[in-house]
Amino acid sequence: MSTPPVAVVGVGQTHHKSRRLDVSFGGLVREAVFRALEDAQMTLADIDAVVLGKAPDLFEGVMKPELYLSDALGAVGKPMFRVHTAGSVGGTTAIVAASHVQAGKHKTVLAVAFEKQSEGNAQFALGSGKGASLGAGGAFAPFIRAYIQRSGAPEHIGWKVAVKDRLNALKNPYAHLKIEDISIEKVKASPMMWEPIRFLESCPSSDGACAVVITDAAGANAAAADGRPPAWILSASSRSEPPSFPGRDPVRPAAALQCAADVYAAAGITDPRRQIDTAELYVPFSWLEPIWLEAFGLADEGEGWKLVDDGTTELGGSLPVNPSGGVLSSNPIGASGLLRFAEAANQVRGAAGEHQVDGAKVAIGMAYGANNQYFSTWAVGSSLHPFG
Amino acid sequence: MTRFIESTITFPYKRSLGPVVGAFMTALTEKKILGIRCRDAVLVPPMEWDPATGAELPHEFVEVGPAGTVESWTWVPAPSEQHPLDHPFAFALVLLDGATTPLLHAVDAGTPSAMSEGMRVAPRWRGSRVGRIDDIICFVPGDMAETEGEDTGGAGEPVTRMDYLASITYRNPVPEAADRATEASREHRLLGLRCPTCGRVYAGGRGLCPVDAIELGPDCEVDLPHTGTITNFAIVTPVQYPGQTETEPFVRAFVLLDGTDVIIPYSAVIELPADRVKVGIRVDAVWASPAEETEEGGGMGGSWGSLLGWIPNGEPDLDDPDLVNRIF
Repeated sequence: MSTPPVAVVGVGQTHHKSRRLDVSFGGLVREAVFRALEDAQMTLADIDAVVLGKAPDLFEGVMKPELYLSDALGAVGKPMFRVHTAGSVGGTTAIVAASHVQAGKHKTVLAVAFEKQSEGNAQFALGSGKGASLGAGGAFAPFIRAYIQRSGAPEHIGWKVAVKDRLNALKNPYAHLKIEDISIEKVKASPMMWEPIRFLESCPSSDGACAVVITDAAGANAAAADGRPPAWILSASSRSEPPSFPGRDPVRPAAALQCAADVYAAAGITDPRRQIDTAELYVPFSWLEPIWLEAFGLADEGEGWKLVDDGTTELGGSLPVNPSGGVLSSNPIGASGLLRFAEAANQVRGAAGEHQVDGAKVAIGMAYGANNQYFSTWAVGSSLHPFG
Repeated sequence: MTRFIESTITFPYKRSLGPVVGAFMTALTEKKILGIRCRDAVLVPPMEWDPATGAELPHEFVEVGPAGTVESWTWVPAPSEQHPLDHPFAFALVLLDGATTPLLHAVDAGTPSAMSEGMRVAPRWRGSRVGRIDDIICFVPGDMAETEGEDTGGAGEPVTRMDYLASITYRNPVPEAADRATEASREHRLLGLRCPTCGRVYAGGRGLCPVDAIELGPDCEVDLPHTGTITNFAIVTPVQYPGQTETEPFVRAFVLLDGTDVIIPYSAVIELPADRVKVGIRVDAVWASPAEETEEGGGMGGSWGSLLGWIPNGEPDLDDPDLVNRIF
């Protein structure tokens, strides 16, 4: 690797819920931040810079919340940055934070992301404040229809993903949705929202935050020596493409393919399906799982749905996807991407608790945003050289 | 001359106040102003954390004021709708008695000559208070607090949330290409712009090629056909939110124009209910009659101008498995 090694040494998140009416924005993000600092055995004084990500300001109607939150995040007198890449923002926030450490500019950087959806309305915000908002479901339904026709996937694939992620969520104490009696029948019977997407194939609206502490090799080695395994960042990549032009393919977006190729090449991953032990992919609607399995090279084109069908992506399968329950179970939008990155880190740290994938040594966290336009991914490992 | 379109967005946000600002707002309903002890300081309004270090603060509230001293001020000669008063006033930093940090609020002093650093001011309370900073209408010169209107008393229970009606009015420049597309639509022409570099054609007044990153001027204009095929679609179950205009599931279709590579995205459809829409339906453009013309245009909005949407034309459906992939 050409960049200096850096690692995740602390991860924190809130208990995600529909409405956290008991806390302010500051109170919400601080819950995640202090859990991450405690995990890293650090205090705010150990943080050299803070990077904040969230969805567009229209979601809560607070302009420049990064300024409002600077004292809540202990950033007074320190560099404070805001990241904006739509739904992928949480992932990009982690990558920007890691970049500051890799560049040698700062030793330890705090990445924080949040959303407090209860203060506004996502459909309003996604529709730019106008009527007849398509919402995310309306935007993605045509892409899903194209995938289903192309791949010949049977309709139960979407239902299976919806059930799998909700079963995983039952093992994650922080997950928002806890549907004890989730079943294929229940998903099938739920209302059609954006044909072919049913209600239970969709993510919830959540209030929540996530925070990650990233530090340099010396800090990571010290944590390891203290019995607290770091998650080494093997590689990271962000790619984007224009929203629309004739010939654009939102099912296999060029930016996604490039992001995957970039992150695998830099990590020395030549056979992602076998070398990656678990993946946290951004799946707000069930069908995005097979779509991203294919675009990110974890399955051949047209074959992603088969990994869902045969149980490969279940916890206990050979490639568990979203063991945390994923975006389908918790969706504080701005934080959702960082949660993917943080959960991937926790897997290779052996810190994922009841949803731990046994022996996970290499994991990826991935987030996407807007019209399948922005992609952010990192690969993390339990060691810097997991492939020998 | 560049033309501008004015738009207004409003939304009734609901703030969760948290334990500290919530206590401050609750106290306002009782005509009390609370600060919080932070080491040797008393912060007003109170904060949940030490602003210098981020450390959590114990909830040690201190009642301050209600009168205080103006530390600094600026005059607002022409208030806007969103200002706290409808006549000229001062914004001032008021150090309330017992506080160590000043509170920003309005002072109703009549004229700037009545304002000075060091002057004493006291709150003018709203009679009916809900737990917002404008429960204090403004401060007035002197040491005596006053109440406007009938005093309806405190909230009686803790205030935990605050309504915040956000409103923004902004003006967007309309690109010349969009204006030309709108004008063409008045003549029931569908205007496209062909990129001289890659040959891609863009409709809807988009005056640039995002692939080659070049502007597309009038010399790139082409007339597009008025007949096409639905390649894909969304059926949206409308969620109700402030400003929502839809109550029933509605369709937005992607239309591939005959003999071109041009997709008209997110199109309105006419006489095609949600339960009948499918890939391959042949459609014709529908244009507004002069009587239906409005400033905002037809059913498609924006620079689509008089294009209302697309209607099935009765031709047999196209059966091409690749159609569904034509979304952009």
